[in-house]
Amino acid sequence: MGVGSVLIIVVVVLVVPLFFVLMWVVGGYNRLVALRNRYKNGYAQIDVQLKRRYDLIPNLVETAKGYIKHERGTLEAVVAARNAAAAANTRAAQTPGDAAAMKELSGAETALTGTLGRLFALSEAYPDLKANTTMMSLMEELTSTENKVAFARQAYNDSVMSYNTVRETFPTNLIAGPFNFMPAELFVIEKPEEKEAPKVSFS
Amino acid sequence: MDFFERQDKARRATKWLVLYFIAGVAMLIAAVYLVTALIFTGVDARYHSRHHYGYEEEPPLQTLWNPRLFLGVSIGTLAVIALGSGYKTLELAQGGSAVASMLGGRPVSSSTTDPDERKLLNVVEEMAIASGVPVPQVYLLPDEQAINAFAAGHSTSDAVITVTEGSMRMLTRDELQGVIGHEFSHILNGDMRLNLRLMGAIFGILCLAIIGRVLLQTRSRSSRDRNPLPLLGLALLLIGWVGVFFGRLIQAAVSRQREFLADASSVQFTRNPAGLSGALQKIGRYSYGSRLLSPQAEQASHMFFGNGMGEPFFGLMATHPPIDERIRAIDPAWDGKFPPLSKEQIPVVQAAALAEFERQSHAPSFLESALGAAAMPLSSLGSAPPSDWVEPRRPSFPAPPAVTAQRVLAHTGTPTPTHLRYAEELRNAIPPALQAAAGEGLGSCTLIYGLLLSEDETVQKKQLDELAAATSAEVCQETLRILPQVAGVAAHAKLPLVDLALPGLRHMSPLQFRQFSAAVKVLVESDGEIDLFEYVLQKIVMRHLEPHYLGARRPVIQYYALKPLAGDCAVLLSGLAYIGQQEPEKVASAFEQGAQLLRYAAQADIQLLAEKDWGLDKVDTALNRLSQAVPQIKKNVLDACAQVVAADGVIQETEVELLRAIADTLDCPLPPSIRV
Repeated sequence: MGVGSVLIIVVVVLVVPLFFVLMWVVGGYNRLVALRNRYKNGYAQIDVQLKRRYDLIPNLVETAKGYIKHERGTLEAVVAARNAAAAANTRAAQTPGDAAAMKELSGAETALTGTLGRLFALSEAYPDLKANTTMMSLMEELTSTENKVAFARQAYNDSVMSYNTVRETFPTNLIAGPFNFMPAELFVIEKPEEKEAPKVSFS
Repeated sequence: MDFFERQDKARRATKWLVLYFIAGVAMLIAAVYLVTALIFTGVDARYHSRHHYGYEEEPPLQTLWNPRLFLGVSIGTLAVIALGSGYKTLELAQGGSAVASMLGGRPVSSSTTDPDERKLLNVVEEMAIASGVPVPQVYLLPDEQAINAFAAGHSTSDAVITVTEGSMRMLTRDELQGVIGHEFSHILNGDMRLNLRLMGAIFGILCLAIIGRVLLQTRSRSSRDRNPLPLLGLALLLIGWVGVFFGRLIQAAVSRQREFLADASSVQFTRNPAGLSGALQKIGRYSYGSRLLSPQAEQASHMFFGNGMGEPFFGLMATHPPIDERIRAIDPAWDGKFPPLSKEQIPVVQAAALAEFERQSHAPSFLESALGAAAMPLSSLGSAPPSDWVEPRRPSFPAPPAVTAQRVLAHTGTPTPTHLRYAEELRNAIPPALQAAAGEGLGSCTLIYGLLLSEDETVQKKQLDELAAATSAEVCQETLRILPQVAGVAAHAKLPLVDLALPGLRHMSPLQFRQFSAAVKVLVESDGEIDLFEYVLQKIVMRHLEPHYLGARRPVIQYYALKPLAGDCAVLLSGLAYIGQQEPEKVASAFEQGAQLLRYAAQADIQLLAEKDWGLDKVDTALNRLSQAVPQIKKNVLDACAQVVAADGVIQETEVELLRAIADTLDCPLPPSIRV
C-alpha cells in the first residue's frame, strides 16, 4: 500500500468520523444551552410581570379595606396568598425551571388567583367600592398584568416544552445526561372556575 | 464617503479576505504535505528495510513528490478546514445572539428596573431611533468587570449589542453613548458580517490543530510497530497553530483599521469626543482594563470595543490600536496620563456614573420645560397609580421640519448629534403606557396590532373581530386598552415606535410568533384598500423578526446592474406615484421625475404601469428583488423614489415615513429626516 492510500484511509476512517462526533457533541451541547437560555429568559419575562402584580395587590387591599368591614378574612387571605406567591417567585427566579420551585410557584399562584377571584366576587356586593376610581383603575391594571403574565407564561411553557423534547429525544439525550441538563418544569396556573368545578370522588 | 460607499467597501474587503484565505489554505496544504511526505518516507524506508521479502507492491518512497500522497493530504486538509469553517459558520448563522450567548451573555429585559440597565437601554434605544434601525437586543456579560462591548450579527435585523457589567456600571451616560456609537458604526458599516466570516474561517484552521492534538495522543498497539500518527499529529498541531497565527494576523489588521473608523464615526454621531475619550481613559486607568475572562473571548477578540485579550506580544497581533493612540486620534488635547483608579475609588466612580444619569432623566428636557410639562420619572412606572392619578401632560411629539428630496438620503446610516437629541425627545414624548408596552411580549404585539388598525370605525370593528379569531379575546382586550394612545401617535413617531417594540417582539415563543404573523397578515388584508405605509410597516416588522424565529437570513447580493431590475423599479415608482397623486397627468409627471433618474443606468425603458397593473403583491416582489442589489443601485432607486414622492414640491410627513420604511426594507437605515 502506498503512503497516499494509507493517509486517505487514516483520514476517512479516523479523522472524519472523529470530527463529526466532536462537532455533533459540541453542536448538541450548544443547542441544549441555547434552549435552556431561552426558557430562562422566558421566565425573566414572567418575573417582571409577576412582581408588578405583587406590587399592585397591597394597594388593592388597602383601597378595599375602607369599604369591606365585615369580611376581613378574605382580605387577609389575599395578603397571605400574595406574600406566599412573592416568596415562591423569588425562589423560582433563582432557578427557573427547577421542578420543586416551579411546583411551589404554580400552587401559590393558583391560590392567589383563587383568593383574588373571591375578593372580586365580594366587591360586587359593595357598589361604593366598585364605583371607586382607584379600585377601578387598579382592577383594570391587574387584569392587564394578568393578561401579560398569561402571554409570557405561554412563551415560557412553549420553550420549556421544546427544551424538554430535545433533552429527551435521541441523540441529544446522550449529551443531556453527562452534562447535567435537568428537565424543566412547566408553569401552570389553574383557573379558579376549573378548580371549583364539582368533583366526583369515589374514595 | 457616504453610507453606500462604506457598504461597498466592506463588501470588497470581504472579497480580499476570501483570497487571503484561499492562499493561506494552499500554503497549509503544502506544509502538511511536506511534513507527511517526510514522516512517511522515513517510516516507509524503515518498514521496507525490515521486510525485504514478500512485499512487492511498491518500491520505497525515494522522492518527495508523490501525487497520491498529495491527493490524500489535500483532501484531508481541505475536508477538515471546510468542515470546521462550515460548522462554525452554521453556528454563527443564528446571528448575533449566538455569539453573545457563546460568551455567557444574558439578554437585558427591556422592562428592567435596574437604573444602570435602564441607562444602557436608553442610550441604545436613542441611538437606534436616531439612525433609523430597529433597537438591537442588548446583552450583558454579567461576570466581566472590565470595560468592553461588542456588536455582532449579519444585518441590522439580528444585530445584538453586548456590553460588560463593568462598562455598564463604570461609564457615565456620555461615555456609554460614545461606546454605543462606536458599536453602531460597526453595525451600520457592515463590519459585523466581515467579523463573523473571519471567525468561521479561522475556526476551520484551528480544527487542523485540534485534529493534530487528537492524533498526538494515539498509541500504537504494539511497541515494535512504529506508529507515525503521533508525529503527524504534532506536525498538524504546529501547522494548525501557525495557520491560526497568520489568520489572527489578518484578523488583527482588518480589526485595527475598522476600530479607528468606528471611533471616528462614533464622534461623528455624537459630536462629543469627550465621551468616547473618557471611556477609553477609564479603560486605561481601571485595573481590569478591557480584558475579558471568558475563555471564548479570543475567537471574538476582533469584535470588541477595547482590546479583550491583554497586551499582545507585538503590535501586529493587536486587534486594537493602542489606547493612547486612539484617545489622541479623537482628543488631541489629552495630556497622555492614566492615573490608576484605586480600589476605593471604584464605587465612587460607579455612583457618579449613575447619579449623573438620574439627574438627567429627572430633569425636563428643553422641549418639555418649554411646554411646562413634567416628565414622569421612569421609576414610578413600577408602582401603582395614586388615587388622584392624573395623566401628566406629555410633551407633544417633536415635529421634524419638512425637507427637500435631495436632503432625505444625505444622512443614510450617518446620524448626527441633532438626530440623537431629536431621538431622545421623541422617546420621551412617547406616552409611558406605550413605552411600558414596548418592553414586553404581549404589549409589543398589541402595539403593532394597534398601528395596523384602521381609523374607520366599521373597518376597525371588522379587523378587531378577525384579530380576536386569529389570537384570543385577551389580546383583543389589551389592543383596545392601548389603542387610544397608539392612535394619538404622530405619523413620524410610528416607525420609531416599531423600532422600539422589536426587542419586545422577540420574547414570543415560535408558536406565538406564528399566531402573531397570521394576525398581522389578517389585519393588513382585511383593510380592503391598499395602504402602502401599512403594508411596508408589517414588512419591516416581519423582516426584522424572521431572522430571530426562522434563522438568520443572509443578505445575498445578486444584482450588480440595474438592467434586470428595471421592471421592479417601474412597479415601485408607479405605486408611489399613484399613492401620492390623484389626477392622471400629475401621476405621470411624478413618475417621470423619478424614472428619468434611472433610465440611463437601467439601459431600459421604465414605463408607468396602468393603475390596475400594480398591487401590493407586485410591490412586495419588487422590494424583495431590489433588496438583493448592490448598495449603489439601492441608492439610485431610493433617490428616484424620493423624487417621485417630492414631485409636488413638498414632502409630507407621511411621505417621508413611507420613504424611510421603503429604505428600511432595502437595508438602508434612514435617520429621521430633520434639518441638521
